[in-house]
Amino acid sequence: MKLIELFIQYFPSFMSALLYTLKLTALSLFFASILGIIFGLFSVSSSRLLKTLTMIYVDIIRGTPLLVQAFFVYFGLPQALGIRMTAIVAGTITLSLNAGAYMSEIVRGGIESVDKGQMEAARSLGLPYHIAMIRVILPQAIRTMMPSIINQFIISLKDTSILSVIGIRELTMNGKIIIANNMEAIRIWTIVACLYLFVCTILSRVAQALERRMSYGK
Amino acid sequence: MASKISIKGLRKTFGDLEVLKGMDMEIAEGEVVCLIGPSGSGKSTFLRCLNRLETVTAGTVIVDGNEISNKKVNINKVRENIGMVFQHFNLFPNLTVLKNIMLAPVELKKMDKKQAEEKARELLMRVGLAEKADAYPVQLSGGQKQRVAIARSLAMNPDIMLFDEPTSALDPEMVGEVLEVMKQLARDGMTMVVVTHEMGFAREVSNRVIFMDDGVIVEEGIPAEIFSNPREERTRNFLNKVL
Repeated sequence: MKLIELFIQYFPSFMSALLYTLKLTALSLFFASILGIIFGLFSVSSSRLLKTLTMIYVDIIRGTPLLVQAFFVYFGLPQALGIRMTAIVAGTITLSLNAGAYMSEIVRGGIESVDKGQMEAARSLGLPYHIAMIRVILPQAIRTMMPSIINQFIISLKDTSILSVIGIRELTMNGKIIIANNMEAIRIWTIVACLYLFVCTILSRVAQALERRMSYGK
Repeated sequence: MASKISIKGLRKTFGDLEVLKGMDMEIAEGEVVCLIGPSGSGKSTFLRCLNRLETVTAGTVIVDGNEISNKKVNINKVRENIGMVFQHFNLFPNLTVLKNIMLAPVELKKMDKKQAEEKARELLMRVGLAEKADAYPVQLSGGQKQRVAIARSLAMNPDIMLFDEPTSALDPEMVGEVLEVMKQLARDGMTMVVVTHEMGFAREVSNRVIFMDDGVIVEEGIPAEIFSNPREERTRNFLNKVL
């Protein structure tokens, strides 16, 4: 079958592209999670300044297309600041900032879903806010957040394809390059799609297993 | 006897709504005070001002010599000395019963893990739930949850306990087991402030009953007096409805 032949023929290049996609995803999600937790905590804090800061961040990211954000970071920022940036760095920054904003909303939602009696009970025992947050509120919030977090992980993984526009040879860009050589559009795009599908499916299965493990005696 | 809790001119407003309209109260060490009154009268808000779960709008609240109505006072230290039991238990569902009780002493470095566990098991014994140490809250009945909540709030060795309608969310057949634990505490000399609808408990256990309505103390006195011979019209009306 031609499809399998093509896959084998271009196997090394598919794998290196897949690796780029995964690397970009993993790095971005790592930073996005940190951003998400920080800004999520900001948005439930009692400080108006921190809340406003978060609101501005989330509004900007949510209100502009990822494609424009990528151009802004890769072409705009270096020019404005007089710095140099590789495509992969720019891609990671863009995707981290993008996913971070959505994650902060997920974190906020998760924390707000925890009954406020939980915080009161923890505080009434004499626990300071941050310990109550870490030991009592966040562990419960994470359970509610899990499906949305995984959803965001999957969205971000697929969003790496948009970063092909700044010249990162990830799965999508790689597909385009191969097709430019051999004109096998339908088969190559099928392979590319299957690779995305494969990774995303694994990710959501792992997530389901994780969710089951956090059931606390239920 | 020394005043354990001293409240002067306490006011609390939520936006335009004045919930507490100036309250004064002295509570002595070892005293058991029951707050009764119609819902919306400010009983729970008052109780929550005693450990700053609500910040006061005006007036002073002094607990154990600490002026907790003063924002500069480190409330966490004071709260270690004040246990609180809630209507809806508020056990931490992500932790086992034992861990629920051990959390505060361990995190606040009052005890090491081993001591805290010993203490937790001893407390569970006291509330009759030794065998539930490794259960999660979701596996307990309402009455059991509330007894664990009491054990948890005792883990820091407080000398004041606040109860906010501790039996109101319970099925009737479970009220008794929780009241029994509270009676034991009272007998052991704990200073207790109890917001309750359990008139039987108020009559039997408390040293003083305070009837609140519309954000003020309408009447207070020893239980026998309040229940059999209330002076105020409002108190009489309320008691007629609930007794």
